[in-house]
Amino acid sequence: MLHRRSVTFGLAFGLTGALSLPVRDAAGEEPPVRIGFALAKTGLFAAATPAQLNAYHFWRDQVNEKGGLNVGGVRRKIEFVEYDDQSNTGNAVKIYEKLITDDKVDLLLSPWGTPSHFAIVPVLERFGFPVIGSTASSVHIRELKVKNLWFVSPSVHDKLAAQLVQMAKEQNVRNAAVIGSVLPQGKEIKRFLVPALEAAGIKLVVNEEYPPDIKDMTALLSRVKAANPEAVFVLSYPSDSILYTRQAKEMGITAPFQWLAIGPTIPAYRKIFGSSANGIISMGHWSPAQSRWARAKPFYDAYVARFKEEPDYLDTVLAYMSCEVLEEAVASAGLDKAKLREFISTSTFDTINGPVKFSGVENTTTPVGFLQIQDEKFQIVWPAAIATATVKPKSPW
Amino acid sequence: MSGFFEILTSGQLLLAALITGTIYATVGLGLNLVYGTMRLLNVAHGEFLMLGAYVAFWGFTLWDVSPFVSAIVAGILTALLAVALYFGLLKWCLRNPRMRKRIEPNSLLIFVGISVILQNLAALAFTGTPRGYQYLSGVVSFGNISISANRLGAFAFCVAICAATLIFLRLSIVGLAVKALIQRKEAAAIVGVNVTRLEFFSLCAGFATAGVTGALVSMTEQTTPFMGFPFTIAAFIVIIMGGLGNITGGIFAGLLLGFIETYGVALTSASWSSILLYGVFLLALILRPEGILTTRQAVR
Repeated sequence: MLHRRSVTFGLAFGLTGALSLPVRDAAGEEPPVRIGFALAKTGLFAAATPAQLNAYHFWRDQVNEKGGLNVGGVRRKIEFVEYDDQSNTGNAVKIYEKLITDDKVDLLLSPWGTPSHFAIVPVLERFGFPVIGSTASSVHIRELKVKNLWFVSPSVHDKLAAQLVQMAKEQNVRNAAVIGSVLPQGKEIKRFLVPALEAAGIKLVVNEEYPPDIKDMTALLSRVKAANPEAVFVLSYPSDSILYTRQAKEMGITAPFQWLAIGPTIPAYRKIFGSSANGIISMGHWSPAQSRWARAKPFYDAYVARFKEEPDYLDTVLAYMSCEVLEEAVASAGLDKAKLREFISTSTFDTINGPVKFSGVENTTTPVGFLQIQDEKFQIVWPAAIATATVKPKSPW
Repeated sequence: MSGFFEILTSGQLLLAALITGTIYATVGLGLNLVYGTMRLLNVAHGEFLMLGAYVAFWGFTLWDVSPFVSAIVAGILTALLAVALYFGLLKWCLRNPRMRKRIEPNSLLIFVGISVILQNLAALAFTGTPRGYQYLSGVVSFGNISISANRLGAFAFCVAICAATLIFLRLSIVGLAVKALIQRKEAAAIVGVNVTRLEFFSLCAGFATAGVTGALVSMTEQTTPFMGFPFTIAAFIVIIMGGLGNITGGIFAGLLLGFIETYGVALTSASWSSILLYGVFLLALILRPEGILTTRQAVR
């Protein structure tokens, strides 16, 4: 007898069956190439990851508009398999393993942040799955000796500190204040910055640390102001960068050279401070103003047109570069893991940040660079080889 | 070298401490109202603050509305959210004496869920990208003391809220009824206080305070869907130190916290600020668990 229940079940089974059949276009298109990754969409890092997520989505849509990813000569549309690792590196590890073994993705993109990159290394090595890293930098990458992960970021902290001090020296800085977050990145930069300053003959007049959740820097900055340094190095994360800038402005810290590690490249930073932020220097090696890199300006224009705001000059650029490297590698080597590894390790890639070539796991072509906010826009001020403007002293707040 | 002592006695440090403390006090105020009257553990307090911040951000970005005006709008919107929550969920959870007895643990679960939902709704609607805007960012100076105009404005607004609340609770009949309600609910009902209506009013007022504070905070901090959690923690520390439901105690505790953070850092070093803060909190819990300003009650 045709009960309502049996009809419902029948329909349900039928639909499930029909929907689970592989979808083939009437035109007989190629199956999509599935690319997986985990990014923190909730939790502590969630404020930082949109820069990277936007880059990934932007890249996927751009490539799909051109007809799809060139996989060894065949164009296939990109389909993302994304998961939220909840700002937990343990989750990231599990997710990447799931992506490889369960979801059986064709390719992988990197997660956000140095800790997560390091965490997934065992998984990548175990399955021999090559991944281009993005938003990670640490001296420890040289110790890794991995075969399946490469880092596009040139800002390894010992090189960074050396270049920073060199730039300061060229600006005739004679004394400096260093205030750093106690988080790993702040500590690592400090580890190299302090000896480098001393070796260069720059006197360290303030050398202090602060906790990551600091709410008020008045006492700290009073000491800095009293010492009247010519340079202030703030080894900060976004929230402390914003706090420092506001309070430095209030207290009138007039050091002509002020460098903030992470934060100024986020669009919100310049929105909060406007012209007061002119002169602030930060980490970064990209600008659409660098006409030698043919892809830079078109990327910038298309990004702004889509997202109605500028990209993060650090994270978005690094993430996009990692996608470009992958794109070029896959076009030549297809999806074969061994061929991909070979190609990535030996070739020179063309990206929005110019050429990228890996020596071991490090990107040795892109130089460690510094950006400065001038007229509320970012200019590359170091090194001279890729600079789009010269360093200017910090203008009055 | 500008002495250690000079920095310690500077007006700049005092103002910094006052502002930090007042913001803590205002954040705790809303939570105290909600907990004191209804025994709701609103762990989503920071998320209502976050919503207020977004109201101010979008108000300024889209329509050039001053964040101070947006603060009032944010307060109204969060109060409306409170209304929706009350009629949609909380009223049902308070429907009979048995459920009323369990409201505290139930509310913890409920508000954890609401917190997660609000965070993710905001992330979906606005993306997780940090937001910021520039409003009244010029520096104002009085003698040796300089402060951003927007921070000064936020400070003034928070002082007004705290002062108005204290005056209201002391001098108006409704305020006195709320105090009675916080002190002893059953007795208040007996003397004719309309408990349900006042609870509802306090709920809306408490949530509204969070929204207003969020709008004010958005002028000087980046606005993200996950900005609320530190404020929730601070609010709970404030109300526990000040005595659960003790509004005056909460304001005092908020100021104390601001002073500890600012002067503690000045006296020792920035690395000590968390240790000092939570150390004092622990000490307060050990020595005066009922709250710093709450009189101990002998239970016979």
